Amino acid sequence: MSSRTATKSPSFRRCKGVKLSEASVMDQRMKRELLIAKEPIDEASLLGSRKMSSAMGAAVYFLGVVRDTEQNQPIQALEYESFQRMAEHQFNLLFDQIEKRWPIESVRVVHRIGLIEVNEPSLWVEVIAPHRGEAFAACQWLIDEMKKLVPIWKKPV
Amino acid sequence: MQVTVCFYSWFKDLTGCSSVTERIAPGTTLGELYKKLKERFPKLAAMQKSTLMAVGVNYQDAAYVLSDGDEVSFFPPVQGG
Repeated sequence: MSSRTATKSPSFRRCKGVKLSEASVMDQRMKRELLIAKEPIDEASLLGSRKMSSAMGAAVYFLGVVRDTEQNQPIQALEYESFQRMAEHQFNLLFDQIEKRWPIESVRVVHRIGLIEVNEPSLWVEVIAPHRGEAFAACQWLIDEMKKLVPIWKKPV
Repeated sequence: MQVTVCFYSWFKDLTGCSSVTERIAPGTTLGELYKKLKERFPKLAAMQKSTLMAVGVNYQDAAYVLSDGDEVSFFPPVQGG
């Protein structure tokens, strides 16, 4: 089962201290793309489809890969399961918060579910922002919060 | 009234099913429903402190008052990434 959402949310509110050159970025809505699917993550395709406006100076992306151990025990793979509707909703709530906290142009998330073998990616996250500081911060925050709130589970195989 | 209860991850192993339908009295809270299900599925009790509860697609706490037709979910801590 797979699902793709590309939704827009209310405009980012201007913050104190934001340079005028960044205002045009913040007047626009943050683009968001989310895919939770069984298909392998195609990094080349994702990188090839990146879109950045000329005001953007930072593209941070994270790739989460299945390790060969889980709780110090060797494994062959992880089986991921999701509560799909709630996972999509919770991701979108996190995107809403990112849009309020940082001047991000776009966020793209791909989380693979199903059986994922060692060395294969399970998560791909990309954040595009004017500067590296907010791009790194938003990417780190999104992954940390995802691990607390988005209903996806894994079990070793 | 009636609600559907879904279990995810290893909670399916603890209960032996992925969902059940429960008849409850008006005014029943999520916590009261969980207590009722612990009696029916005693293995759930071991996970009580770490159980996450949702109604529809939103997290709710034990005081949440259920409505007829609600879809309730009980599951262990999430582990995405």
